[in-house]
Parts: sequence; C-alpha cells; structure tokens
Amino acid sequence: MRTGDTIPTWEVPITPTLVVSTAIATRDFQDVHHDRDIAQAAGSKDIFVNILTSTALVERFVTDWAGSETDIAGIAIRLGAPAYPYDTLTFTGEVGAVEDGVATIAVTGAVSLGNHVTGTVKVRVGE
Amino acid sequence: MTATDETHELIMAEAERIKALGEAAEREARDPVNQPTINNWLEAMGNTNPRWKAGEAPPSMAQVWTMYGQGGKPPEDDPLHGMMRVLTDAGYTAVLGTNCEQEYHRTLRVGERVRVTTALDSVVGPKTTGMGVGYFVTSRNTWYVGAEVVATMLFRVLKFVPQGAAAEEAPA
Repeated sequence: MRTGDTIPTWEVPITPTLVVSTAIATRDFQDVHHDRDIAQAAGSKDIFVNILTSTALVERFVTDWAGSETDIAGIAIRLGAPAYPYDTLTFTGEVGAVEDGVATIAVTGAVSLGNHVTGTVKVRVGE
Repeated sequence: MTATDETHELIMAEAERIKALGEAAEREARDPVNQPTINNWLEAMGNTNPRWKAGEAPPSMAQVWTMYGQGGKPPEDDPLHGMMRVLTDAGYTAVLGTNCEQEYHRTLRVGERVRVTTALDSVVGPKTTGMGVGYFVTSRNTWYVGAEVVATMLFRVLKFVPQGAAAEEAPA
C-alpha cells in the first residue's frame, strides 16, 4: 500500500432490500430504515441507509481491494446526503500518508444528491 | 436576559452535569459475538471475506453487538439519551447524525461478550446550519472485553429546530 494508490471505483445500487436487510443485520430497528410511510411522514423522500451500514460498506470497499487480512484500525466518516433506494452509491478512494505503520486512506461515497460519506480508513500495514 | 439566553444557559449547565458523569450507563451485549449474527451481516453487506467465517468478527460490527434491538431503549442514566432529552425539551426536536469515528484495537472473536459505556464528550452551539439552528452533541462509546478496551466510537449528531419551528415557542 503506497501513497497515491487509488482504489477502483465501486458502485453499489441502493435497493429497498439493501436498506432494510442491512439495517436489520446491524440490529438497527429505527423505523426510518424500514418503513417508507414513517420515513416520508418524517420529511424524508424514502427509507435511507443507516450509519452502521455506511461504515460497513466503507470497510468492505477497502478490504475487498486491500485483501482479506487487511487490519483495519479505524473508520472515521462524515455524513452528508442520504442514500435512498433507486440511487447508486459510488465509492472512490486513495491512499494518503503511510507513516508509523499506518496507512490513511481517503474514501468518498457519493450519491446523486452529493456525498453520502467522506472519511478516512486507517489500516495497520506494519513497519 | 432573553429567553434564548436562559435556554442556552440551561442547556450548557445540563451538558456540564452530564459530562461529569464520565463513562456511564454500562451495558452488556445481549449475545456473545456469534457466527449466525456475523453471517446475517455478511449476507446483507455482500461481504465475502473468508476471514469472518473463521472465528473473528468484522471490525465495524463492534457497535452491532450492543445495539438496543427491537423495542430496546437507552437506560435513563445514558448520557447521550439524557442530553438529547434536554435539547428536545428546549425545542431542538430534530436529529441528524453528522460524524461517526470508530477505532478498533483488535478484532473480536466468536464467544467474547462485549460491554459498552457511554460518555458525553461535548455540546457545542447554538450554530446556524443548512438544516436550521442547533447544537452539535458528541458522545463517546467504549467497548470492553473484561478490562480490555477493544473499540471506541466518537459519534456526533446535530440536534436542531426543524425549519418552520422556533426553539422559544416550544412547550416547556
């Protein structure tokens, strides 16, 4: 893993099934992640991806590229536009600093409304 | 002193009181780290990493183990819940997650049972944002196995007055 390495773009089609199944698999039963009527009554366009899933997809984006033994030290994300069904979540990433045995990878996940997540993933790479 | 100033002082006084609680509301995960829950997560995420079929849990599942579950509620003494209630009562009724920063000290292993504590880190506001006027509330969760810290999370939300409403007009 070297500074400047880029991760191939990954496009995730957001479906109602993805939103609901990931919310339940992360044990997040907040209704806005599975009940469209309630989500719309609360002012949302539709149900939307929960934060635990945004983090999990960032994790997968990096480890699918870097390998199954990738040692993730941390994932820090800033949340932006919601990820709604029938949109596409497109991840891009680039390795920044590699120092003191840790690589910092900048990751962005964008939807049609703008950036859904921007953040960094720290990976322990050894000396 | 205006009503807004008084409300702000009350909010900040409550923030100081709750911050002073430190790590509080300790809870144990409902279940130990277990393969069926990991498998459900892997399927939903489309994650095919074979490492998570061999006794370790994916790092970002740390939070999953201590989620409240269907119908579960934070305990009354939970610092984040307490601060949210103060702001809701002051008219800042809407909430939006803005930052989530997780650190993993090591992967969890199947069979381990985690505990989590919650501390209130900071309350900053009132700030005018694109969503409306609100306070940024930052909390910190710490996950333990025995006495060992295995993961931490800094979580920040914006607690704001929805457009068209006003904090001072909210019922007490």
